[in-house]
Amino acid sequence: MADLLQFIVAGLKSGAVYALVALGFTLVYGATGAINFAQGEFFMLGGMIGVALAQAGAPLGFAVIGSVLITAVIGGVFELLAVRPIASGDPLRIIMVTIGGSVVIRQLALHVFGPDERPLAPFTAGPSLRVLGAAIERQTVWVWGITAVAVIALAFMYRRTLFGKAMRATSIRRDAARLVGIDAGRMVTVSFALAAALGALGGLVVAPLTQTAFYVGASMGVKGFSAAILGGLGNPVAAVGGGLILGLLESMTAGYINPLYKDAVALIVLLGVLFLRPQGLLGGLGREKV
Amino acid sequence: MKKAQLIIPFVAAGVVAAGPLLIDDRFLLKVLTFVGMNVLVIVGLSLLFGYAGQVSLGHAAFVGLGAYTCAIFTVRLELPWIVGFATAGLVAALGGLILALPSLRLKGHYLAMATLGFGELMTLAFVEAEPLTGGVDGFSGIPFPVIGSFEFREPAALYWLVWGVVGVALLVAWNMTMLRPGRAMRALHGSELGAVASGVDTVGVKVRVFVMSAALAGLSGALYAGVVGFVSPSIFTVGASVTFLAMAVIGGTGSLAGPVVAAVALTLLQYSDAVVPGLSRDVARVVQSYREDLYGLAIVLVVILAPQGVAGLLRRLGGGGRS
Repeated sequence: MADLLQFIVAGLKSGAVYALVALGFTLVYGATGAINFAQGEFFMLGGMIGVALAQAGAPLGFAVIGSVLITAVIGGVFELLAVRPIASGDPLRIIMVTIGGSVVIRQLALHVFGPDERPLAPFTAGPSLRVLGAAIERQTVWVWGITAVAVIALAFMYRRTLFGKAMRATSIRRDAARLVGIDAGRMVTVSFALAAALGALGGLVVAPLTQTAFYVGASMGVKGFSAAILGGLGNPVAAVGGGLILGLLESMTAGYINPLYKDAVALIVLLGVLFLRPQGLLGGLGREKV
Repeated sequence: MKKAQLIIPFVAAGVVAAGPLLIDDRFLLKVLTFVGMNVLVIVGLSLLFGYAGQVSLGHAAFVGLGAYTCAIFTVRLELPWIVGFATAGLVAALGGLILALPSLRLKGHYLAMATLGFGELMTLAFVEAEPLTGGVDGFSGIPFPVIGSFEFREPAALYWLVWGVVGVALLVAWNMTMLRPGRAMRALHGSELGAVASGVDTVGVKVRVFVMSAALAGLSGALYAGVVGFVSPSIFTVGASVTFLAMAVIGGTGSLAGPVVAAVALTLLQYSDAVVPGLSRDVARVVQSYREDLYGLAIVLVVILAPQGVAGLLRRLGGGGRS
């Protein structure tokens, strides 16, 4: 029983991070109809920039917020420089550009921050909490709290603000949105910036638990994408659900079958969903009628 | 088709075949053998990318699958090299089929992501399947290729073996692009809807192309295992897959010549110290450490500025030609 609870805690911890990365995929997919292969690199940048700021002497809170903002700006600039010039083209070209861009971002991180794995200090120090015999690290509570706040803030922005409504309008029908005076190009830039910020947040909150390094982006990209299509690509609620389910599946596999297979779970989920239910588990639920 | 366009391939083939007669630098010969292995991968990848419009980020994993298969068949099972070589192609093809079937029914980005995941998974598998693959330490003591009683151990023999396979692959691929499957692929790339409307079995074509490109990558891996005698998981990474993709993208679409030229050029860049006499070691080291940056940047720039890549350049040089 305590074992099971412990696995659930671990699963929901990584699941929350996958959810943040998956939300980033969803945002960009909604705005462009393409997959941003650099999404995992924003996760990496969040952690690496946060560590660099903290090591330069910035207080932890400042390092976290600073890193999210810097990564968001990098995301927006990336869109302007690389994606904007081909925005109206074939999604295949957007995919290619983001693949090339992800390599450039990763290599730049290698040259700037070096090849070593680096830790970030836990957000609050202290012993683990004990709940029904399971140990919960304090940082795990931060992971859940920050993910919850980010998801709620995003949902609020989408539903309640004019800006969020404009973004939704763009993702449903770009030309119609343009007709009512929405600057669709700007919406795409903002989607990339927001997606980068979400990814960075994910990278920051787990950095104290797992360390971080320049090469962690690609595998996180695959996991975040698996989470996104497990839920149903293009649906933010489903992205969060998919992230949590994937986290739980991984942790149960590691706990009850074999830790070696943990990293294979995301790929099996990915191929399984593609085979059996391409619209995702929750596909269709959050779809809006125009 | 103009006569010049028919003559060029024959001249090129003659020059390539004569390589070992003109070069007596063993290291350079070895580098050119590596060039051949990459060209073999790119022939398949350019069919996939440039003709069928599909992206693969996992081709290094197919190369690895082929290399390990050949190593296991020849060393652990002590079977003849030719059996290991053929099986390497088959196993990689099977891997490609398993990957292609689900993802190709959907849009291309699913395949790209699935191949990226496959690449990561295979790197993991090469490490973890230690009894078969030797784990992180790699698989050593792989014998030279042998056909009948002839052992390919001299650099020149290995060179001819690799480039011979490349020649056959190019012929098959060229026939594919010229005949019915090629027209189907080109129709597919132009407009998928239009291709479906004219009765092209688009999924079938894409799956066949993907399987063939995986098989060629597997054969290239088998050759690598035989030429080098050692394989390890650090060679067949996603980074290597990006390198292959960069070659295909820079090579351009709708052409075999463009990607082949790009593959030769980019592979030689990697071994710049062997090719350019008197190049200082420092320059070579800088090129080496910024290699991946260059590939990434090149993909971005080519896609934005020159989507036709080297192929477009060759077409313009050839005075228009086919579009």
